[in-house]
Amino acid sequence: MLKTKEYSRELSLVAAIIIMVIVFSIIEPVYLSGSNLLDIMDQSVINGLLALGITYAIITGGIDLSVGSIFAIVIVVVGDLLVSGLNPVLAIICGVGIGFILGVFNGLLITKLNLQPFIATLGTMSAYRGIAYVITGGWPVLDIPGDFRSIFNSDIFGAFPVSILVLLAFAAVGHIILKYTKLGTYIYAIGGNEEATLLSGVNVNKSKMLAYAISGAGAALAGMVLLARLGSGEPAAGQTYELNAIAAAAIGGASLAGGRGNMIGTLLGAILLSTLKVGLVVVGVDSFWQYIATGAIIVVAAYFEVIQGKLKGMRVGRSNTKAIGVGK
Amino acid sequence: MKKSKKNLFVTGILAISLGLTACSSNSSSGSATPDKETGAFNPDNADGQTYEEVRSSLGEVPKLTEEIKLGAVAKAFENEYWRTLKEGMETGAQKFSDKGMNLTIDVKSPQGEADEEGQLAIVKDMINKKYSALLLSPISDSNLVPGVESALEKDIPVMNVNDGIIKEAPNFVGPKADLNGESAAEWISEKLNGEGKVAIIVGMPKAFAARQRTLGFENWMKDNAPNIDIAEKQNADWDRAKAKDIAATWIKKHGDLAAIFANNDTMALGAQEAVNESGKDILVVGVDGIGEAYESIRKGELDATIDSFPKYKGQIAVEMTIRQLGGQEVPRVIWTPQALIDETNVDTPAEEIINWVDPTIAK
Repeated sequence: MLKTKEYSRELSLVAAIIIMVIVFSIIEPVYLSGSNLLDIMDQSVINGLLALGITYAIITGGIDLSVGSIFAIVIVVVGDLLVSGLNPVLAIICGVGIGFILGVFNGLLITKLNLQPFIATLGTMSAYRGIAYVITGGWPVLDIPGDFRSIFNSDIFGAFPVSILVLLAFAAVGHIILKYTKLGTYIYAIGGNEEATLLSGVNVNKSKMLAYAISGAGAALAGMVLLARLGSGEPAAGQTYELNAIAAAAIGGASLAGGRGNMIGTLLGAILLSTLKVGLVVVGVDSFWQYIATGAIIVVAAYFEVIQGKLKGMRVGRSNTKAIGVGK
Repeated sequence: MKKSKKNLFVTGILAISLGLTACSSNSSSGSATPDKETGAFNPDNADGQTYEEVRSSLGEVPKLTEEIKLGAVAKAFENEYWRTLKEGMETGAQKFSDKGMNLTIDVKSPQGEADEEGQLAIVKDMINKKYSALLLSPISDSNLVPGVESALEKDIPVMNVNDGIIKEAPNFVGPKADLNGESAAEWISEKLNGEGKVAIIVGMPKAFAARQRTLGFENWMKDNAPNIDIAEKQNADWDRAKAKDIAATWIKKHGDLAAIFANNDTMALGAQEAVNESGKDILVVGVDGIGEAYESIRKGELDATIDSFPKYKGQIAVEMTIRQLGGQEVPRVIWTPQALIDETNVDTPAEEIINWVDPTIAK
């Protein structure tokens, strides 16, 4: 019972997704076909990876606006490496490493220079995008080798795309770090009350830097999935993707005030957005209305969070004691 | 338990409101959205002339003896299209200076296609530096209007190149955008023997080119191919990944989808990836003629693109500006060449496809 309460938001997201699927299927029965449901998962992979990463930054009370640009740098650098003949597995490792390092650099700006995360990553969003353009001179990287593409694009168990597994694996690792490691505890604690966390002797800077590094790594994985899917990489890729990622995290219950959010919620948030997107396309809703529908979902989900917060507040008194729980 | 009931209630409302949105707007989808009469200038509907007609009616290009400094402002060099247009303008200027004119050109772009203010700043700077004439491709239909007005006040000629559309500019040089869509429609209809299900992937809705290309496609089909069913239409914001996702969903929804028309090559190449994955034989046609599209056609993947030859368009824009500076009266709207490229002519040089000849200059 306690478990159910703890995950009530996640359960209601699942309910929302199921209801949405039912509604769309009534309007357009094709929607419920197996391949379409797989498509919903498939189309949530890129946004999901970005959103899972950004959730780390959000839980610390920060934000990472640079994910779309890290995504682009990884696309062009890994693309170039592959075209020049590097082994695909090494290229993937390089890609994740680049994302991690760019994330660490964000973390350095935020901790060492004491910049606000919004400003720091706004700066790197522009600078990283510029680097992606400089690397290729604005041209796309073409003819990505097939062996790299098939790593992400092949299916296992007959019809289950590897890229979905990448998403689920990243979510699982992210979940384990958040729930079962000291780093995870510190990240929640920093978001709940940074000063108290600092006073209790936690290396706040290091934890924050790792949170941004994980955000960068998520963006890197997302970039490589896109590179594999499209078979070419553009330095302009991923613009405004950070906003969709933030939307998924927010729908999933991450609070921009910090201290709240988790991988399961964000994952469901990304799936919900993709359910909506695929549904609106299948049903044939005019594109202009899709913007409105997406906006409505974000606002409704946020209001939902407020209601939940109030209910919780009535019961235990509004506090973040559980989140701060350093001594857990 | 009360809480979860409330949760369900909210979720229910959310789903219902979604359903309503879907139902209420479903009826309007798929049908052509008519270009509302907004009072905006639409060069596609203007009484324009092709550059060849202009050449034959105006004759040789007057030879200018004074020093000419042309200033051009493109949308964004991040996009291959604008880099190629820049190259074309520089080539054009080079050809005239090789033939003895004292002519230079500076082609600049702001930082990305969202930097409307930055683009205006570049134009104002060019006016202050007393450039001889301006060739402008504004980001929106309105962001350069103050610059155009002040240039015209100072008797600096303004040539509106490609798009967006500046109502206040005295001349427009560019492709007839609805013709892009018409050529694509005609080609697809021919390949399908006038029958089948097709879909359209639209660019950024605010863009003139996206609206006109879609409209041209829809109107041609309506008038000429009654048995072609435009089953789907969605926008993908010029984004390749979005286009791929939308196309993948359509392919699953319509087992008999026969062709996809995308408003530009980037989106067409995304849709092509979805088609490749499905293993089906679906025609994909794009617009722009970027290098990657040519490659894809050579590989036997993408089926066709409508090239509007930015390299030659740039040269024509320079030529028309020089005619204007030399005192000739050029028409309000000048159309630049375009052609459909498919496997039959993908390796034919552009000069041959559009019968390009360099303009002749008066002695």
